[in-house]
Amino acid sequence: MRPNETVAAFAEWESTLGRLVRRVTYGPTVAETTKATQLGFQGYLNYQLNYTRINDDAVETAVASKWPLLAQSSDVLFSSDAGQVRAQLQEATIYRAAFSQRQLYHRMVEFWSDHFNQDMDKVGYLLVADMRDVIRKHALGKFPDMLKASAHSPSMLAYLDQTQSRNTAPNQNYAREIMELHTLGVDGGYTQDDVAALSRVLTGWTIQGRGNFVFNPAIHDWTAKTLLGVTIPAGSPSLGQAGINEGEQMLELLVNHPSTARYISTKMLMWLLTPTPTETQISAIASVYKATGGDIKSMIRAILNDAWLPVAPMKLRRPFHFLVASLRSTNPTVTTMTTINGQLNNLGQGLFAWDTPDGYPDKIEYWAGNIVPRWGYASVISALNSTTSVAVDTTAYRAGSPDAAVDLIDQNFFGGEMPLVTRNALLTYIKGGTFNDTRVRETIGLAVSANAFQWY
Amino acid sequence: MDERHEEDCGCQEYNELSRRQFLTSAAAGVSAAAVFPAWLPKIVMSKNYASNRDIIVSVFMRGGADGLSLVAPFADANYYTSRSTIAIPRPDATAGTKGVNLDGFFMFPQAMAGDAAGNGGLMPAFKATDLLVVHATGQLNNSRSHFDAQRYMEVGKPVDPALVTGWLGRHLASIPPLNPTAPLRALGVANGLQKTLVGAPKTLPIADPTNYSVGGAAATQTQRLGFMQTDYAGAEEPLKSAALDATNTVNLLKTVNFAGYKTANNAVYPNTSFGRALRSVAVLIKSDVGIEAAQVDIGGWDTHSAQDPLAGSMFRTMQDFSNSLAAFYADVIATGYSVTVVAVSEFGRNVRENGSQGTDHGRGTVMFAMGKGIAGGRVITKNWPGLARENLESGQDLKVTVDYRDILAEIVQKRLANPNLSFVFPSWTPTMLGVTR
Repeated sequence: MRPNETVAAFAEWESTLGRLVRRVTYGPTVAETTKATQLGFQGYLNYQLNYTRINDDAVETAVASKWPLLAQSSDVLFSSDAGQVRAQLQEATIYRAAFSQRQLYHRMVEFWSDHFNQDMDKVGYLLVADMRDVIRKHALGKFPDMLKASAHSPSMLAYLDQTQSRNTAPNQNYAREIMELHTLGVDGGYTQDDVAALSRVLTGWTIQGRGNFVFNPAIHDWTAKTLLGVTIPAGSPSLGQAGINEGEQMLELLVNHPSTARYISTKMLMWLLTPTPTETQISAIASVYKATGGDIKSMIRAILNDAWLPVAPMKLRRPFHFLVASLRSTNPTVTTMTTINGQLNNLGQGLFAWDTPDGYPDKIEYWAGNIVPRWGYASVISALNSTTSVAVDTTAYRAGSPDAAVDLIDQNFFGGEMPLVTRNALLTYIKGGTFNDTRVRETIGLAVSANAFQWY
Repeated sequence: MDERHEEDCGCQEYNELSRRQFLTSAAAGVSAAAVFPAWLPKIVMSKNYASNRDIIVSVFMRGGADGLSLVAPFADANYYTSRSTIAIPRPDATAGTKGVNLDGFFMFPQAMAGDAAGNGGLMPAFKATDLLVVHATGQLNNSRSHFDAQRYMEVGKPVDPALVTGWLGRHLASIPPLNPTAPLRALGVANGLQKTLVGAPKTLPIADPTNYSVGGAAATQTQRLGFMQTDYAGAEEPLKSAALDATNTVNLLKTVNFAGYKTANNAVYPNTSFGRALRSVAVLIKSDVGIEAAQVDIGGWDTHSAQDPLAGSMFRTMQDFSNSLAAFYADVIATGYSVTVVAVSEFGRNVRENGSQGTDHGRGTVMFAMGKGIAGGRVITKNWPGLARENLESGQDLKVTVDYRDILAEIVQKRLANPNLSFVFPSWTPTMLGVTR
């Protein structure tokens, strides 16, 4: 295996618009492709960016009814069953990604929940509020707002041990990761001394009660600090709540730092466009960050342009993306999501379960070998026909000939650009046995298993 | 393995490497030369396929394991002054949680030694001189970032962003297979391939080898696997090789009876992810299917708060680590299989505990090597640097006195019979410390 290389797109992926749909959605359904064709390249991108104008009532009504805990405050969730809270957050996240029309928004929710990754084993119910009030609130907003919200998020402060830090013994975990992973990047120009100083600046940032942010002046380190070229003079406990301003000042410095502009731009380019962005691309997007105050929509608009996209390499779907795409393509009737959620664990990307703060990898060489679990999942989803969990309806596929069934698979699973090798192999399979429900389901399973379905 | 041949050995891996080296693939965004550098053709391959070399099990303790709890220097007085709440009591203390003396200077906590008398855990392997501890070890790169430090440790060369293969991957790529017909030479017991193994031929991540199947109706399974082989035959790498290796491995693992496996010496693997992983590796080794390397991870070492190596969080992590490896020792190594185990962590932790009864990211730590070919029963260091503040790196951390590559390189050369050390560990001239027999 040749690691870290990029993979050119299939010859059949001729349409630039089709590439855009693949990048901003979890899979090109017929409805999505039709919408994009109506609106054109810029029109469709704007439609997805201006997500609040897309009516999502049906999905949110379903979420509110199936997973009611997610609307609750931390005070209520504290006394709820922890397994239920976890399952509801996981299941609703999959459901929204699959069935919301706000596809780009949910692609970015996934991106930011990795960027600000937290492990529910450690933070438990606190993550519900973080996902709601930090990630989903700001996913297509301004990066500085999201970073600051995250720094005030009880879940994040608990996850990275900020809640353990105090003047007499600062804990460096959060101070390090906010620079390394959230803003400047590991090569962003900070030192171990900066980590130590920032940890002292942030002493007192903690939580109280069942999960409310508080600045506690009694455990703040009021001595003078110097970090990243800034000197913070000594204060005194009599300043009380004003002590939080030291930290706010440093957050402001971090979000305005040139390294942050480059680091966030690089990560967004890697997410949306290519595993190997060029210096030109990074500089261009970093300029947009600086000019717009870290406006995420503006950055996406600059990244997904019709010059870069047609020559971008393919990206490998991670298990979450792969599973969500299979739901969009099979378009099942969903009663409960328990089975599907369990399948995502088998695929290796159980939600909110990556224990280190870097988030799940988005690298071909990491996921490429993990192919058998995908094939196993494909045979499960295609066979599901349960009125109490998930039911995939194959009536339309059986209405005509085997050839027509494969044509329909092309439309529903591959945006009408299914590679020829896959078409021929599917035709061979579907014609290799009696044309019935079982054979059709197996053929759908193979479509989900196919090479072309693993990429976007 | 003394014979060395400069000419083409005719083996498949070598030819693949050479081709990758000399072809400039237009499809490759990163050129093959960046992956396999220019001096590759100098690689030396043995003609001897019927080798007596060891199988290697590589363990990564992810999160920065606190070497001063795993193997605590009770005779260094600064250990106790630096750790007022989380130190292991001396072996001659009266406390029920006292440590177990190893050599008059270092001790195991009970989580590593089974009990206060040292009747379990890793003590049998240590007493049988099959377990070696290296202390004050680590990497030259002084990053305290988990992710940078893990990356460069797994790659096997500090701070070289262009090198993307792992040291174990390069080992496998530069030595003929133990069994030329084996469909699977190595596995990472993980959902995705660990960086240590990247670059290895015929190598897959398999999170659960006991359940590796494409599912669906048995009657159509062969036909469906046939679809995969056709559909992926034209796929771009790395998916093409992964898919073909996977179809072969599905058929291979079907033949292995994991459920009916009986351990030797009444070994009991803990029912933890680490214990189950080692059990699966043991089954594969004993099934003689051609596995020659496995990468297994154990997390839980990032002990920023409430570390508690005597009864709490780190106690349980160490207990899982030692009991799982002890079962593997009794089941596989003590019964005569030629297997070497190595365990590393990306860095150690601050000498002084923090205000949360934990420890923040540090530098020097311990590593372990275990096997019949390891000169164990010892804790080796290069001039213990001591824990007095003036002797600490940056005034806070145990210094790194032994580069971890010295240990791995000796094992690669002496136990894995691979002479290509400059390929496995580029730009590094290892010092052999006599860690193998």
